[in-house]
Amino acid sequence: MSEDLNQKISQFLDNELDPVDALSLLKKMRSQPELQDTLNRYKMISHAMKADAFLLTKADFSTKIQQQIQQEPVCWLPQQRKRFKPSHKQMAVAASFVIVAVIVGRSVNDSDQHFKAASAFQVAQQLPPEKSVNSVDVPQDQLNKRINDYLQAHNSSVYTNGEADFQPFARVATYSQK
Amino acid sequence: MMGIKCFFLAGFLWTGSVFASDPVLTARQVLEKMNHAMAVLNYQGTVAFLKNGKLEPMKYVHAAEKGVQQEQLLSLNSPLREIIREADQVSCLFKETQQTLVDYRPFEHSFLVDMPKNLDDMGGIYQFDIVGEENIALRPSYIVAIQPKDNARYPRKIWIEKQQFLPLKVVVYDNSDVLLEEVVFTDIEVKKSLPFVGVKLLDTVYPAQPIQPIQTQSSDKAAFVVTQLPTGFREVFFARKPMHNAEQPVDHLLLSDGFTSVSIYMENKIASMQPGLQSVGAINAYSRTINNFQLTVMGEVPAETVQFIAEGIQLRE
Repeated sequence: MSEDLNQKISQFLDNELDPVDALSLLKKMRSQPELQDTLNRYKMISHAMKADAFLLTKADFSTKIQQQIQQEPVCWLPQQRKRFKPSHKQMAVAASFVIVAVIVGRSVNDSDQHFKAASAFQVAQQLPPEKSVNSVDVPQDQLNKRINDYLQAHNSSVYTNGEADFQPFARVATYSQK
Repeated sequence: MMGIKCFFLAGFLWTGSVFASDPVLTARQVLEKMNHAMAVLNYQGTVAFLKNGKLEPMKYVHAAEKGVQQEQLLSLNSPLREIIREADQVSCLFKETQQTLVDYRPFEHSFLVDMPKNLDDMGGIYQFDIVGEENIALRPSYIVAIQPKDNARYPRKIWIEKQQFLPLKVVVYDNSDVLLEEVVFTDIEVKKSLPFVGVKLLDTVYPAQPIQPIQTQSSDKAAFVVTQLPTGFREVFFARKPMHNAEQPVDHLLLSDGFTSVSIYMENKIASMQPGLQSVGAINAYSRTINNFQLTVMGEVPAETVQFIAEGIQLRE
C-alpha cells in the first residue's frame, strides 16, 4: 500500500497523475502528515537532480517557518527613516548635479544634429577645483566649448583622439552664422 | 687539429660579418635616423591611437617627394573624417556632416610623433637610451626610452623599426609609469612612391571653412608675464586672436621643450571659468583668475607643472 502511495506521489510531482487520483492523494496527505513529508523529500530530490544543488533541511522546516511568520507581530507604527550622514547628503547632491549636467549636455548636443558639441572634457576626469570667490554659474557646455577651443588651438591631437563626439563646435558654429 | 682551427676561424669571420652588418647605434643616432626616415620615405599602414581611454584606428599614408611631404589619416570608425597635413596646413573633412575645416599648424610636423629636429640641446633635459628590442607589426624594432631628468614632464618610449627606422609605436607614460597615450602601427609597408591627395578637390565638393592663419606676434604684447618655467621650455609663438567668437580675442603663448608643449591662454573674464585642475588623457589644464582676466595653462605635462607655470604668471604692468 505504502509503495503504491509513494508511486502516486512521484507521479503527482511529475504531473502524470490523473485529476481524480490527485484529489484523493491530496485528501490523504491532509490526514497523514508522513505522506506530506514523503512529498517534500521527493520534491527536494527532484530539485537536486534538476538544479545540481541540494540543501538538506529538516522535514518540518517549512512548517516551522510558516508558524514563525504567523507568530510575527505586525507593527503598524511608522518606522523611523534612516538618517543620512551630512557627508552622504553632500555626495548625493553632488552626484545629482553631475547627472543633471551630463543629461543637459547630451540633450543640447542631440538637439543639433549638424553641430555636435565637442565633448572631450565632458568625459574628463575633473580634479577637485579650488574655491572661487567671484564664482558665477556657467552652463557646462560653455565651459566645455571654451576648453575645447583651447585644446584645438594647442595641438592637432584633437583630430586623432578617440572621442566619438568630437567636432570643433566653436569653429563650425561661427562659420554657420555667415 | 687543422679542422678545429678552421672552425674557430670560420666562427670569427662569421661573428665579424654579423657585427659589420648590424653596427651598434646610440639612442640618439637611432632617433636622428628616425627623423630622417619619417621625412623622406613613402609609407602607409593602419595605426591605432589610444588617447583618453579611447581607441581610434586610422589608415595612415605618408607621401614624400622632392622635400615635400603629405600625411593622410582616414578614420575607420565614426565620426568618419579624412585629415590631411601638408606643409603648415591641416585640413579635416568630416564625411558625415560634409564639412571641411582648414587649420594652420606651422609648428607641428607629424600626427605620429613630433620630434625636435636637433637633439643636441636636449641632453640637459632628457636622457636617451636603447632599453631593448621588440617586434611591432612583425618588424624588429629598437625600444628607445626618452626619460626626462625632472618630474616636470612625461617619459616616453618609441619603438623604431631596425631596417627603415620608422616609428612603429610611441607611448607616453606618467611619472608613475602608467600608460597615458599610445600610437601603434598594426601593419605598415614602405613604398617607392605614394600619391599626394589633392586638398583642392575636397574644396570643390565641400567648400572649406578656413580658420584664420596664425599671425605670430611678439610676446611683449601679451597681457601677462611668465615668471617661472621648468628647464628647457622656450617660446614657440605668441598670437592674439579670436577663438570663441569674433569679438573676444584670446592671448595664446605656446611653449615647448622640443618633445612637450604647453599653451598659456588669457582672455577677459566674461564668465567664470571653472578654476583648478582638469585633465584629458595626458593633457592637464589649470585655470585661475587674475583680476579681470581668465588664465588657463594647458599641456601634455603633469598637473603639478601646469599649476607651477600658472601660479607664476602675472599681469603685465
